[in-house]
Amino acid sequence: MTTYDKKTLENLWEGNLSSGELRPIQSQFKDQDRFWKFLEYCQERVGWSDRILLPLQPHLFVVQKPDGRRVNKCDCGFEFGDYRQNWKLEAQVFVRDTDETLQEIYPPMMHCDPEWMVLREFYCPGCYSLLEVETVPPCYPIIHDFKPDLETFYREWLGKEFK
Amino acid sequence: MLKHRARILAVDAGGTMTDTFIVDELGRFVVGKAQTTPENESIGLIKSAEDALCQWDTTTKEAFPHIVAGIYSGTTMLNRLLSRQGLRVGVIVSKGQEDYFLLERGVQTYLGFSYADRLHVVTHHHNDPIVPGRRVRGVFGRIDVFGEEVLPLQEGDARDMVRQLLDEGIEALCVCLLHSYRNPSHEQRIDQIAGELMDERGMNIPVFLSSEYYPVRNDFPRLNTTVIEAYAAQPSRAQLQLVTKRFRECNGKFETRVMASHGGTVGIDTKELARTLISGPIGGVLGARYLARAIGSDDVVCTDIGGTSFDLALVTGGDYAVKPYPDLARFLLCIPMIQIDSVGAGTGSFLRINPGSGRIEIGPDSAGARIGVCWPEGEVTTPTITDCSVALGILDPDYFLGGEIKLDRDRALAAIKDQLADPLHIDVYKAAEGIIELFEENLKGYVASAVLSKGYAPSNYVLLSYGGGGPVHVAGYTKGLDFQDILVPAWAAGFSAYGCACGDFEYRYEATTDLPVPPGSDDDWKVALCTMLNMHCEGLKAKIVAEFEKTTHGSESIEYKTFFRIQYMGQLNDLEIRSPSDRLETARDLDDLLQSFEETYGRVYARAAKSPELGFAITQAIVTGRVDVEKPRLPDETPAGPTPPEAAFKGERKVYWKGEWRIARILDMEALESGNIVEGLAIMESPATTFVIPPGATAELDSHRLFHLRFHQNERDH
Repeated sequence: MTTYDKKTLENLWEGNLSSGELRPIQSQFKDQDRFWKFLEYCQERVGWSDRILLPLQPHLFVVQKPDGRRVNKCDCGFEFGDYRQNWKLEAQVFVRDTDETLQEIYPPMMHCDPEWMVLREFYCPGCYSLLEVETVPPCYPIIHDFKPDLETFYREWLGKEFK
Repeated sequence: MLKHRARILAVDAGGTMTDTFIVDELGRFVVGKAQTTPENESIGLIKSAEDALCQWDTTTKEAFPHIVAGIYSGTTMLNRLLSRQGLRVGVIVSKGQEDYFLLERGVQTYLGFSYADRLHVVTHHHNDPIVPGRRVRGVFGRIDVFGEEVLPLQEGDARDMVRQLLDEGIEALCVCLLHSYRNPSHEQRIDQIAGELMDERGMNIPVFLSSEYYPVRNDFPRLNTTVIEAYAAQPSRAQLQLVTKRFRECNGKFETRVMASHGGTVGIDTKELARTLISGPIGGVLGARYLARAIGSDDVVCTDIGGTSFDLALVTGGDYAVKPYPDLARFLLCIPMIQIDSVGAGTGSFLRINPGSGRIEIGPDSAGARIGVCWPEGEVTTPTITDCSVALGILDPDYFLGGEIKLDRDRALAAIKDQLADPLHIDVYKAAEGIIELFEENLKGYVASAVLSKGYAPSNYVLLSYGGGGPVHVAGYTKGLDFQDILVPAWAAGFSAYGCACGDFEYRYEATTDLPVPPGSDDDWKVALCTMLNMHCEGLKAKIVAEFEKTTHGSESIEYKTFFRIQYMGQLNDLEIRSPSDRLETARDLDDLLQSFEETYGRVYARAAKSPELGFAITQAIVTGRVDVEKPRLPDETPAGPTPPEAAFKGERKVYWKGEWRIARILDMEALESGNIVEGLAIMESPATTFVIPPGATAELDSHRLFHLRFHQNERDH
């Protein structure tokens, strides 16, 4: 069975592997214990003790609070509320919808037409890490990226009862 | 015992070890080893030769004067390329084409990958460029595909670019412009300009023109090959001169030759040294051709199983197929190379259960030199084919590499049980046997398709099996295929080095011709074509003559062969056709040539696929020139009768075969005498390989120390 030590997974996550080290990992069957090892690695890195249930995306996790609530939480400790709610509604938003703001990140004439498409950047109110960017037509509703079904995921994919 | 008189020296300088193979006048040989000394290869090389010669109680000083041929093959040039430690090269290309090394035509991001990874796009990645972007410059000027000048070379521009490159401190300059194989005038002009600028600065660095070195179509392989010539081959020249100097110091008067990828050996002063970039697996094919000729066959399938791969090459009518645009170390090249098909199925191939399908998968990656779980020092945790062979009793764990390495059978069994047998809910031995059967069936598929896809049947060929793993599995992958004969040399170990010593002293050059033969061409046009083709061939012959004149052989005794690459007009793939006549004179000669192309085409593809309606295109002219050199003789022993001598029996061992434990006789391969016949189930062991003879088969050792494996009639078809 394919398996990697935690150091390799850390380097993988940090992007420190050379292409020669990375390719065998890409080519081989998925390591079956990846989820648990990665969870352990995430838990060690964060500065709080709530149990991580699911890494959601860079910086964000679904965690179990001592009182039984399950919330989205940033690695800085900021909490976005119930994991079934869209965390973006609690984030700070910066919308690039003018030529001026778009040209801060794109060369002239290489960016979108802000009348057709805008960039929405979502920042964590706690640490101001950039968490997510949406590219949408102006006025498009906020996208709810991912609403995990934790019970089913644990039971049927990880083969473990969810408590 | 007679005093040995060394005649031929063949050297294989690998990355870590240098192997020397010395043959005497009776075809007997010794192998020596020493560590490779990359900073001055001649040191390791002489040490290795001394190691070999001391087995004959002689020294280099004593033996070298008798040697008549020295053949060198090595991987240092390749290593220099792989580790990106070549010269600082500057490159001039056509304006607009400066990003060759960044784009790599896409294909270089996955060259050499397994089929699964080719489809798995995330694994593709670009190589570190051998020339960084700042040392690649474009100049204005354009020659079109017909060789006409469309835009004159902008000389001021060229001057600027060369100047900038010289400022970058380059050690060599390569020039590769579009269509320069048609019309080299722009490249030559840049050469002159570079010469003038270097004179002004009082410096002198070599300039490599693609039109002078590799004048063939396909700009990217042409650029790669020209750059590698400057980058990796140029530094090797000095090394080879050092080697020759050392040979001279040891009183060796012989000429040193280098193995080239087209299957001949070339002098060390050859202009195009990059052709010697790869030589390793070629030796085996040459050796196989030589052997087959000696026993009167011109059609051989050469199969070699090593730790990582199964290599297969075909020799048909005494010639091997040559790939005009091979790839090597993730570079597309335009140096002709013997076609060796390699699949990732060796004795070290990893065995896993695909968690998706629940089926066993073999390879494509492998433990290679680390053997398998059965070798604790190798720290391998995934079982391999060798683990299965050890588990079933086919390989003796105490006699691997002649006992040099001790294997642990219990470790192998435990790994197969845990990782393969238990998940499949079957017995561990059944699992191991099933895997080997699957492995051999796969190989049988490769062998059959390789032969059939060339338009032949196995019954047209003799199959030769060598390499450490070949004889272990040869019965499994040939059974039912009906080859004329199945041969296993009893000295399979040194076979590649032996093959290198069998290489002809031969140069091969090619030129792009691109001449059309429209349908209904009249005789005048055909004669004109013949004249043009002859012109190309004469040019190539002149190149060959120039190379031989640098040697002691001169140009009198050269034997030429002419080939043309031909395709149906409008199709994409051409075939290499041996010209029926040495010189094309009349319309009839051309017709014969085209006829011979059509026959080959019909055999390789299908008769019904012949498409002469739009005529033909003669894309390339190829000339090879060889001179006779001394080659090792085959051993020739007097037959001693069919019964093996008592001393050859090493004992008996339990072997798991077709679902039951059976007793196999164990024989010492080296102790067998010619004429001996061994009935299966038997296992013959030598330090380098193990030869398995299944029940219902026999192996007979002939006077050349070649085993002939035969299946009994009723065993043949299943």
